[in-house]
Amino acid sequence: MRAVNLMTTDERRGPSIPTGRSGGGAYVVLVLLGGLAVFALLYGLADHAISGRRSEVASLAARAQQAQARAGQLTPYTSFLQMREQRVQTVTQLVDSRFDWAQAFHELGRVLPPGKVSLGSLAGTVGSSSGSSAGASSSSSSSSAGAASGSSVTSATPPGSIPTFALTGCAVSQAEVALMLDRLRLIHGVNEVSLQSATKSGSGGGGGGAGCEGGRVSFSAQVTFDALPSASTAGGSSSTGTASTAAAPASPASASATPVSTSSAGAVR
Amino acid sequence: MTGRDRTVVMVLATLGVLAAVWLFAVAPKREQAAKLGTEVSTAQAALASAESQLASASAAQAKYQDAYASIVRLGKAVPASQEVPSLIYQLSQATNEKNVEFASITASVPGASGSKAPTASAGAATAGAGATQMPFTFVFNGSFDSLYNLFQQLDAFTTLHTTSGELNVSGRLLTIQSIKLGPVSASGGSAPGSGAPGGSEQLSGTITATAYVLPAGQSLTGGATPAGPSGTATQTASTGAAGSANAPAVVQVNP
Repeated sequence: MRAVNLMTTDERRGPSIPTGRSGGGAYVVLVLLGGLAVFALLYGLADHAISGRRSEVASLAARAQQAQARAGQLTPYTSFLQMREQRVQTVTQLVDSRFDWAQAFHELGRVLPPGKVSLGSLAGTVGSSSGSSAGASSSSSSSSAGAASGSSVTSATPPGSIPTFALTGCAVSQAEVALMLDRLRLIHGVNEVSLQSATKSGSGGGGGGAGCEGGRVSFSAQVTFDALPSASTAGGSSSTGTASTAAAPASPASASATPVSTSSAGAVR
Repeated sequence: MTGRDRTVVMVLATLGVLAAVWLFAVAPKREQAAKLGTEVSTAQAALASAESQLASASAAQAKYQDAYASIVRLGKAVPASQEVPSLIYQLSQATNEKNVEFASITASVPGASGSKAPTASAGAATAGAGATQMPFTFVFNGSFDSLYNLFQQLDAFTTLHTTSGELNVSGRLLTIQSIKLGPVSASGGSAPGSGAPGGSEQLSGTITATAYVLPAGQSLTGGATPAGPSGTATQTASTGAAGSANAPAVVQVNP
């Protein structure tokens, strides 16, 4: 069966937009005006933002200039503070780089066998890192000192320098010399203890030159400490520098008392 | 041209007008506004930086009195000039306290193997930017105990508290390079029984040590006075002498 459209011819086109006599031109004009109005609004907002931001930039620049001028007036203060910091750093490095002689002597007095061993001479030197026998003779200390003074480092005992003690003295027996060598290793920060000679008096040997009484053993030994730490580690080291004083096992009272007993025992003449 | 065609042309023309207005009027304005927004951000950053500098400078100004005091105190440890008399005075004080005889002091020439007589400029060796070295050789006579205490005292002139990191300065900074201990008669020191206590237990300690001074051309305070640093309006012209190589009175040694 064939379908038949029952709608009238006018109704078949559907609902149409009323365009009037302009044929839709009025709508186009309205859209155009609306668009221009929106654009005018955006333009105005942008213009307002521009003027506002310009004044803000000017204000900020003026304030920044004012602050800079004020800071410029106070520059001498900041420079002075920087100079203070540099001085503090310099002195701190110099203090950090020192070898703690008092602590080393204190521990030396503690470890020597009392009454059995006496020291005739003691020469301690903070030598260069390359020289391993600094301080072994009386002339080495002055040459080492001169070398350190002429070096390009700030401290007279730069990091890496190796402190050494050269000891000569007398012991009642060779066994006491051996005990002394063992105990010298107990000193904090000692890296090496080496015996140079131990000769019983009257046996014809050269001896240590200490002029020991008959039957006693004259000895000569060298104690080598760890190298002085670098500036970055000096603060944490307890073997050298002022830091070790705080970390010393003995109180100041006992520290001062121990050498007395050593002295009374004739450890150093 | 049909009605439909006219409509299309009108729509296209409208869109063209709107696009032209956007491209030539609104968009440039908005771009300019955005650019100014960036400038505002830059100006704000510059202001923040300037205010930070000002705050830092103001803080430096507030700390000036403490900084001046500490730099003067550091002058005790590392003075601007050699200050040998004050060094001798300090050592004399320390040896008196520790019951040690201060036998001799010799200014060493840097690099020489022996000691020479001290002169006004002898013994100063520039060593880096921080300080200039002044090597000395001292001879002290005393007991082992007294000498040990003296070494402690020499170190205590300038110490560093490891916990707080603060420097404690009460005298000249000395770096001991070598120590020789021996019987008084054998080491070239003074004769036994020459004044120091202890009798037969007397030792002679020969110490090679280095003191430090500021490099030549550096004054202790850089021309600053207690009122203000050099170049500020607060500094009066009459107080300028405090920054000279002649150390101010506050640098006097007081171990």
